[in-house]
Amino acid sequence: MKNNLIFDNFYNKINDCDFTELKKIQKEYFGKNGIFIQILKSLHNYNDDYKKDIGSKINKAKNDILVKINKEQYNKNCTNVEKNKNNFDCSEGLFFPFVNGNFHPISKTIYDISSIFKSFGFLVSDGPELETDWYNFESLNIPKNHSVRDLHDTFYIDGYVDLLLRTHTSPGQIHIMEKHKPPIKAIIPGKVYRNESSDSSHSSMFHQIEGIEVDENITFLDLKNVLFEFVHAFFSRNLKLRFRPSYFQFTEPSTEVDIQCNFCNGNGCKICKNSGWIEILGCGMVHPNVLKSVNYDKEKYTGYAFGIGVERITMLKYDVSDVRLFYENDLRFLKQF
Amino acid sequence: MKISHNLLKNFIGFDLNKINIVDLLTSIGFESCVVKHEYNNLKNVVAVKILNIYKHKNSDRLLICNVTDNVKEYSIVCGAKNISIGKIVPFAKIGAELSKNIVIKSEIIRGIKSDGMLCSEKELGLGNESDNILILCDNTKIGESLNNIINIKENDKIFDVEIMTNRGDCLSHLGISREICAKLKKKMLLPNIKKYNNLKFFNSLKIESDLCLNYMSCIIRNVKIKKSPKWLSDILYDVGINSINNIVDITNYVMIELGQPLHAFDVDKINCKCISIRKATNCESIIAINGNKYNLDPNILITSDYNNPIAISGVIGGKYSSIDNCTKNIFLESAVFNCDSINKTSKNLGVVTESSYRFGKGVDIVASEYSFWRAINLIIDIAGGDIDSKYVYKNIHNDEIKIFLRIEKISKILGYNIKIDESIEILESLGINTEIKDDKIICNIPSWRKDLKIEEDLIEEIIRIKGYDSIPCINKHEYKINDMSNDFSFNSIVYDLKSKLKNFGFSEVINYSFLEIKQIKKFNLLHYYKILNPLSKENEVLRPSLIVGLYKNVLLNIGQGFDSIALFEYGKIFNKEGERKSFGFVVCGKIWNEWWKWSNYKFIPKYDFYFGAGIIKNILPSNEFKFVKNLENNYYDNSKTLSIIYNKKNIGSFGILKKVSDSYSLNIKDDIFYCELDISTIENEYYKKSIVFKKYSKFPIVKMDISIVANKTIKFSDIESVFQEKIKKNGILKKYSLFSIFYIDNNVSYSFRLYYRSDNKTLTDDEVNKDIKILLDELYNKFNIVLR
Repeated sequence: MKNNLIFDNFYNKINDCDFTELKKIQKEYFGKNGIFIQILKSLHNYNDDYKKDIGSKINKAKNDILVKINKEQYNKNCTNVEKNKNNFDCSEGLFFPFVNGNFHPISKTIYDISSIFKSFGFLVSDGPELETDWYNFESLNIPKNHSVRDLHDTFYIDGYVDLLLRTHTSPGQIHIMEKHKPPIKAIIPGKVYRNESSDSSHSSMFHQIEGIEVDENITFLDLKNVLFEFVHAFFSRNLKLRFRPSYFQFTEPSTEVDIQCNFCNGNGCKICKNSGWIEILGCGMVHPNVLKSVNYDKEKYTGYAFGIGVERITMLKYDVSDVRLFYENDLRFLKQF
Repeated sequence: MKISHNLLKNFIGFDLNKINIVDLLTSIGFESCVVKHEYNNLKNVVAVKILNIYKHKNSDRLLICNVTDNVKEYSIVCGAKNISIGKIVPFAKIGAELSKNIVIKSEIIRGIKSDGMLCSEKELGLGNESDNILILCDNTKIGESLNNIINIKENDKIFDVEIMTNRGDCLSHLGISREICAKLKKKMLLPNIKKYNNLKFFNSLKIESDLCLNYMSCIIRNVKIKKSPKWLSDILYDVGINSINNIVDITNYVMIELGQPLHAFDVDKINCKCISIRKATNCESIIAINGNKYNLDPNILITSDYNNPIAISGVIGGKYSSIDNCTKNIFLESAVFNCDSINKTSKNLGVVTESSYRFGKGVDIVASEYSFWRAINLIIDIAGGDIDSKYVYKNIHNDEIKIFLRIEKISKILGYNIKIDESIEILESLGINTEIKDDKIICNIPSWRKDLKIEEDLIEEIIRIKGYDSIPCINKHEYKINDMSNDFSFNSIVYDLKSKLKNFGFSEVINYSFLEIKQIKKFNLLHYYKILNPLSKENEVLRPSLIVGLYKNVLLNIGQGFDSIALFEYGKIFNKEGERKSFGFVVCGKIWNEWWKWSNYKFIPKYDFYFGAGIIKNILPSNEFKFVKNLENNYYDNSKTLSIIYNKKNIGSFGILKKVSDSYSLNIKDDIFYCELDISTIENEYYKKSIVFKKYSKFPIVKMDISIVANKTIKFSDIESVFQEKIKKNGILKKYSLFSIFYIDNNVSYSFRLYYRSDNKTLTDDEVNKDIKILLDELYNKFNIVLR
């Protein structure tokens, strides 16, 4: 009975108290020599049921006062915040000087395109930038003195009889085919070089992505399918494609591929020069002479190849008007990607 | 190449107006666009009569004309000299739209208002006369709209057509018409020609080189040289060729019409005793019609009279023997030369002409004869004269080329079946005669299609004319995964480096692979590959390192006001080992930009050696990469650089760059930290180990701090190796960190935090202290290091 009085007394006391008074009461009952602590210490003389009963009651009391204290403390803090309301401005929180890094837009495009072709089962490979005449021209059905060579303004290396900077990524086809037997299915992204003066759409260095698949029964239809899927994946849209006859030495038949202009949906605008179409790549069926130069059986195997201009597609994607911006490396440019 | 709509009509016997030529040509491989529309709606342009002409008070050249359209009078400022009172001329009122760009506005010209413009032929888009105002007939109704006066139907539409490099046969209106007719499955018309037989043989001509494949020539006497008729000069103007006189214009006209370059000489200026086609000699030279002098050599084929060269065959004629107003007798040449020889000459002399361009792509021998007679017919028609004598020479016989096209090969390449009848119809429409034999189509290739060599070429012709869009596309959604040995893992090492640095706030750059020699010398580098034929200084050599470009990028961006710069680049470099893959990064300036919460701290952290080295430790793919003294130092501050070693191979270096002393670098006050990794070597040496999960201890960690004092002469890495060894033994010491360094006299104090943990129990203080004692004893015994 005596103990019940103590509890009643306790609960009476903690009613209508402020924070400091509650802290005092907490000490009075639960401090080192507090009333409840004393009771707990004396419990060993009693039976288990009594111990249990008193123990749980004291525990409850301990909890109840804690809840009260927390509530009071919260109220107290709130009034502080209320008072200092004008000092906390959430919008000041936006200045933490974290710096975001960036990939170069060109390598971003290469990565995006490579990922798409990887998912189609293509291997991503690499080829040398310093090439010999054989790899850059001869093996690709471009014999010496052929007038097509004039279009490839080539950088030659001084002091070497037969060393040049590749003018396209197509020599990568030859390297891949020399290394492996069919089936071949690979893309080769990389830098290429042309000895021409630069302007807003020409640069002496630019990037291409070469693609090739060679196997038994590879047809133009396979090429068409792969490119359709690629364009739809890259632009995330169902753009129309147009295959326009063209001429490349190392493919036969050869075509260029235009996509429906993704800025005006083919209605005609400045970017597509009012044609509604934008040229994005060249492709065709691998020329039998190319297969011959890597000792493939040209009767047994057929294949297709394509070449994508990375700068062009990147300029289209981000509406960049001058190719030279890619190599100036001004952070005001780079930080936008 | 410019193509005239009117001229195409001569070859095509059906109404072309309903056909979109641009789309048609583009669909068969000739990208084209309209460069001049035929129809100028000359609204607001009317015929007016000139009433008065005064001199402009502020100009010697300008005149003021009062004109009337019978409704109103206008005062116009005009600069032409061919006007006089009473003449009827075209007048563009204010608001008239002469072309897309020119809209007539009221203008003040040198202080006097002009109410519109009197127009020349060119301004109206009716011709090429631009100096003189177009004078209309005296009986023209005044005030009538020009639309009703001028027969605009005669006006031409011009296309610009891109010709594929292998299609020399399409460098003429004849060639383009052939393609159009093939696509539309129509027959083509050819102008009728009259051949003159029984002519005297011109016997003083000698062909001395087999580079001349075909040669026809004749002498026409008593021609009248004058201005070409308007239809002729207009067409030449529209396709971009200047009108000279009737004879020269006819040769040019036949060239654009049929593709055969022709040349006419003034017979009276050359010594006709002997004309020869031969190789030049070293001491000969010629002044060409463009006014330039060319020194000749034995690689160059020339046309020569008895004494001197009179033309560089197929490339350009001589000035002296050219047709002028006094010419009476001409020598006309229609020849075919070896294309490689013409290309070489044209390239070596640096002169490209309409003629050399066409010969270089190959000219049709059969068309050569037809063109010869066409030109003679036109000359006699337009300039009069009589044929005196002719000469005909043929070096090669036009053997018919046959290609066997296997029918099954068509679907094998295209993946699509085209009916045999349709294939044959297309081939025939291109002038290829066909004949079916068993499972093959025997194709007889016409003389002008030198580009058709193998059966794949014919398959291309079939699908080109039919249209690639006709191959139905089925999305298979089914891809064979490549089972070629994966020798290239999409460069995962590089990709890891890139993404780590990007997450640290770095930006990726791409620099040119070229450099100026001057630039690489600044960094004590040697170049190993020099460009033989650079267009500019910037392309002199291939970069032997990424440093030059990255350094330049730092300078540029400091100049742009950035004070925190962190860049990286991946690309090929070209050093003594050849072409190498390389990865570099550079940091300079503040690590963080200022922040108001940090305004109390006086210390602004900047990129320095320690920060850079910390980055390197965090981006390298494993902790087996070791750091040693850099022995091959070209551009680092000697005391602040290290090399990175893996498997005993040097795979890179890093450090603070030596100050470069040039005016551009004066802006840089902060240290620049640079690092370059040799990816080619790392790729060969390092194999990414797959991650294997290790169980971790459930028992609590004990952290202890110790401070030790060492003599300054002892290298920190030696001290650290004691800690490392201990961790390797897999005892209870699991980790350590260094949280303070300071110097006292000749000693250094290092404070370490040690992390202890056991795999199988909670550690007691005693166990930890015992382990620390062992560590301290070892430090004392080895280096005389004591607890502070």
